[in-house]
Amino acid sequence: MKIILTLILAVLISATGFSQFKRKSNNLLPKPKPTQQNKFLEKQWWLGFKAGTNFAQAKPIKSYTVMVPTNYAAELNVKSYDSFLKTGSQATLEATFYFKGFSFSLQPTYRHTRFTYFNQFRWYNAENSAETLELRYDQEQKLDYADFPFFIKYDILRNKLRPYVQVGIVYSMLINANKAVSITGTDYASGGTNQFANETIIVGAKDLFENYWGLVAGVGLDYNLGNVRVVLEGSYLKGMSNISHTKNRFSNDRLAGIGDAQDDLKLNNIVISAGVLFPMRFLSSNFKTLDR
Amino acid sequence: MRYISIIGFLILAACSNESDPAADKASFTRIYDNNKFNATYYPIDIKQTPDGGYLILGGRKLNNSNFSGIYLLKVDELGGFVTEIEVTDELVAPVGPLLIANDSYYFFCMTNVGLQTQLIKLDADGNVDGQFNVAGNYPAAAAQDGNNFLLLSYDNQDKESVVSVVTPSGSVNSSKSFSIGAGDAVEEPIINHYLRTGRQLPFLVGRLPGGNFYFNGFYNYTLSLAFTNLVADEPQGIVQGQQDDGGLSQVVPLDGGKFAVARFNYGDNYFLPSATLNATGISSSTDLGGNAMPELIPNASVKIVRTTNNARKVVLYASTTRSKQIALVGYDETTGALVGSKYLGFSNPFEVASLAPTTDGGLVVCGTTYVAGRFARICIFKLSAKELTAAF
Repeated sequence: MKIILTLILAVLISATGFSQFKRKSNNLLPKPKPTQQNKFLEKQWWLGFKAGTNFAQAKPIKSYTVMVPTNYAAELNVKSYDSFLKTGSQATLEATFYFKGFSFSLQPTYRHTRFTYFNQFRWYNAENSAETLELRYDQEQKLDYADFPFFIKYDILRNKLRPYVQVGIVYSMLINANKAVSITGTDYASGGTNQFANETIIVGAKDLFENYWGLVAGVGLDYNLGNVRVVLEGSYLKGMSNISHTKNRFSNDRLAGIGDAQDDLKLNNIVISAGVLFPMRFLSSNFKTLDR
Repeated sequence: MRYISIIGFLILAACSNESDPAADKASFTRIYDNNKFNATYYPIDIKQTPDGGYLILGGRKLNNSNFSGIYLLKVDELGGFVTEIEVTDELVAPVGPLLIANDSYYFFCMTNVGLQTQLIKLDADGNVDGQFNVAGNYPAAAAQDGNNFLLLSYDNQDKESVVSVVTPSGSVNSSKSFSIGAGDAVEEPIINHYLRTGRQLPFLVGRLPGGNFYFNGFYNYTLSLAFTNLVADEPQGIVQGQQDDGGLSQVVPLDGGKFAVARFNYGDNYFLPSATLNATGISSSTDLGGNAMPELIPNASVKIVRTTNNARKVVLYASTTRSKQIALVGYDETTGALVGSKYLGFSNPFEVASLAPTTDGGLVVCGTTYVAGRFARICIFKLSAKELTAAF
């Protein structure tokens, strides 16, 4: 659903850009003469700040478990991951070099991202249905990363409203990780139907995760507002390597004790950001670079 | 620029941190769950099999007997479930450890009705491959003695502790009996031990390297460590306990006539990593002293294994803490100095049953956990050599 919304957003951004293109087509055709000013505008450095929200999807590469069933199907206990459900946040510093429609951009980012999964267990007596216990383990992961992406952007239009597309590669360094496990259940065996919730277990889980790398593709929209460029963009960050620490998946006794082991995972994110960029090169003090 | 890009991608690929089967084998935690509400399983011993997997001898609750039934579990080198066998309830009261002879595995138990001791032969997958009648009843403890087996059993007719040397075909080569003392009061804790309605007593049997045999059992009204040559009617040496309130909870002979010992005394526990025991006279376990272990449960069951860790001989003690974790405490075998400790398990209760070094230089610890705080299930902690080195 989130992917669909993102695609719709991308289409809207592109459509807006093209509508601008239609209304102001005379801005592009015929091409202006390469005056000194236009030559100057073929290059520009931009510095800026962006922030926004992200949605995470953890895709299991290989599943691991502490609880090994001996008389029932392992599928009954399988972990069920959410998909682009939990919101995170990110803040980005952007340094971009623009040259003739293309931009090369470094965007170091602090990203806080969340995803959840749950699994369930049931013990029962086939000869006495009252002897039944059901447990559900809900686990939320909160991960903090320092992302170091490198983007290549292409401005589809070069008007005041400038839609663009971008692709890039990112290396994400783990800063911190936490896991929160809430255990709820229904006990039918203690004289009635007793629904209970145990106290949530919160543990530091940095040892369970690792740095990873990914590929990014996205669309965005720049709007020149005076001498400032306002940015709205959406990207899809596809994790390409395992985010889990393969040697530490059982190392947390509190988690292993309740039957949890870290799966091998790839982490995908939909990242939506808004921000402002400032030009670094000026021809003269009263030159409005953004008002062409 | 192209080369820089290629190098960049190679660096990223090197950082890919993909699944690591070697790490998966080296270190894992497993709990073997059965979804029957009223099922109870507990492990007795674990052995690594030639295929890298593990064979677990365990017990299970029987609804038609006061004794425990027999449960066998085979898991692979990753701890994955392979097979389980609930041995017929005509056989009860399994006794560890798993013994090895001619590439087969053996354990002692007894018949449910006649209480006749049985020697059960298994293949490496835990399939029952033979059953032999053994003289006597109420098997209490066993040990390997070369290609033969040592058996400590309780003769409830004559009220005697019996030490026997048993061949893999169930024949008794030699045997000696020692009176536990007259009266039902002495027998009561023994029977409660078998019914698991009382404390599990630390029955032991073994042999000093090339020398006498020893057993930790009842002798002359007291739970004692007795040394015997299986010829003389009286033990050559006795380390007396305090009836069943004090005594030795584990004994492992070391080099140079020393012993790694654990003892208990009215609930307190003590570790003695380099003890000298009087094997030719009478002494008292309370005089042995030792390192007090107040974090352990009262009269704790203790397991000891000798390991080599990072070229250093380490004696590893395993027991159960009051906080229901499994405690591993390591001592330098040469000096008796403490080298480290490690605690396993959290959240749910855990109790130690057995531990054994593994072929990869690691350690496997087998125990009981209570899933959801109530269902007794078998668990395994596999520790890598790196984890052991870090801890000890």
